[in-house]
Amino acid sequence: MNDKVYSLERLGYAYPDGALPFTLELEALDVEQGDILALVGPNGAGKTTLLTLLAFLNRPSRGRLLFRGRDPWQDEDLILRARREAVLVTHHPYLFKGTVSDNVAFGLKVRDVPERERPARIAEALDLVELPGWERRPVAGLSAGQAQRVALARALALRPAVLLLDEPTANVDAGLGLRMEAVIREVSRVAGTTVVFSTHNFSQASRLADDILYLSEGRRVEFGHENCFSGRVGTDGRQSWIEPRPGLRIVFPGKAQGRVTCVINPADIRVFPADGTSDLGNAPNAFTGRVTRMETTEAGLALVRVSGDLTFRVTLPVSELGKGDISLSRPVLIKFDPASVDIVGTQPTGSSHD
Amino acid sequence: MIVPEVLFAIWVSLKTSGLAALLASLLAVPAALFLAARDFRGKRLVLLINQTWMAAPTVVIGLLFYALLSRTGPFGRFGILYTQTAMTVGQVFLILPLIVGFSYTALRQVDRRARTTALTLGASRRQAGWVVLREAKFPLLVAVLAGFARAVSEVGIAMMLGGNIRGQTRNITTTIALETAKGEFTTGVVLGAVLLALTLGINFAVIVGFRSRD
Repeated sequence: MNDKVYSLERLGYAYPDGALPFTLELEALDVEQGDILALVGPNGAGKTTLLTLLAFLNRPSRGRLLFRGRDPWQDEDLILRARREAVLVTHHPYLFKGTVSDNVAFGLKVRDVPERERPARIAEALDLVELPGWERRPVAGLSAGQAQRVALARALALRPAVLLLDEPTANVDAGLGLRMEAVIREVSRVAGTTVVFSTHNFSQASRLADDILYLSEGRRVEFGHENCFSGRVGTDGRQSWIEPRPGLRIVFPGKAQGRVTCVINPADIRVFPADGTSDLGNAPNAFTGRVTRMETTEAGLALVRVSGDLTFRVTLPVSELGKGDISLSRPVLIKFDPASVDIVGTQPTGSSHD
Repeated sequence: MIVPEVLFAIWVSLKTSGLAALLASLLAVPAALFLAARDFRGKRLVLLINQTWMAAPTVVIGLLFYALLSRTGPFGRFGILYTQTAMTVGQVFLILPLIVGFSYTALRQVDRRARTTALTLGASRRQAGWVVLREAKFPLLVAVLAGFARAVSEVGIAMMLGGNIRGQTRNITTTIALETAKGEFTTGVVLGAVLLALTLGINFAVIVGFRSRD
């Protein structure tokens, strides 16, 4: 039995109408049954394009996209079967005219799920997205967040083998977003559902995913495991920290115990030129290093890697590069607020940062 | 003008135009769906021809089909000239571009995500096509009603292909034309009011009935 749900080989895609100036190009990617894969990157990076390819809505321009070891594009029946296993929920979902129930029932109808089973499946899915009893509501008056949850319920009701989610919590508040994350994690854990989701939120990706694919301009960006650190928690009663390297503290708010892993959103890190005389003093979360890599994206973002005692990945508007005189090999100062440090859980020993 | 004759003329109008609207819709809606869903070379030319055809005068279409269906014409052997069938055929070709045009516009206004959403939820291509039609069902109904209204109110085709034969092909519009020509202007006006009431009543009933079910 092949555990690989997806195998991408030299996959390339360009929109036929030239809607985007790049071709999505991925040399290789395997996604296994039950995996949760996050697609992270700025706007226009190719996350949604990749999701539509994985949902078999667009055909790759070149290369191969295998689903359970076979290329579904060779046969119309295989495509239909693959689409029935891999269900996509888009960022701005389309709801069919009618009621919530009409929408959630749609996929069940086309799959010929017996009519007597449908109400229970619909109710169960609506419970999961915290919309119990909403079956009869017309979709016309729903807010964006409610529409997104109905669309998620519509997918969950199908109990798909693969759930493809385009920014699944983009339209909901932070608390509900966390609960939706829990639902996604639970569905994956209990049913073995493979989940591929896109997000701008690095912290969400770190919390939820087994693996992260960072995309920029349609290509994988390899950054290693920057911004992710582990260590034993220390505290002075006022603040907590970990020491990924002896003498180097990453301070975070609140309390934790034992060995934890934290991530820092690359957009929350500030980078300044260092003149060699900078005194870091007792400023929390301030580090020195050199710019070892720089890339700019179509979306006007710069991706900067800073290596020193610790290595960080920073995203910032390209315009700030010039203002801050940030360039390759330049010694720089890194700072971030303790509030931007997310504790994401315990980490196996030895996985601390380079 | 006696009442049974008027009732028969109404019946002929409803039957030929209703049938024409039905047949034209069966051809026009799938054609519009194809045009709305696909991009192909020459599509703009097809749409241009369709839009031009919409403006074709009924008498010219009547003349064209008269030439085709007359005894010496290529389809003369079918012997359908001066029958309700000929009237229906002519009206189908009259309203076909109208229903294609209106349906095309209606289907183009359906959010493109409707089809892709249906596909990603496991619908076959045919089922996804039905979803698009369902999302546009009201404007499509309006397109069909507009086609029916055009057919039931035209006189050129009914006169040339039906021949205005009393008790056979005389419909309400040809009756109005005949009565007015005879100087029975009042009868013409009354029949005109009947035609108006008929078309408005049918539109109203269908739309209200549709909305109450929806």
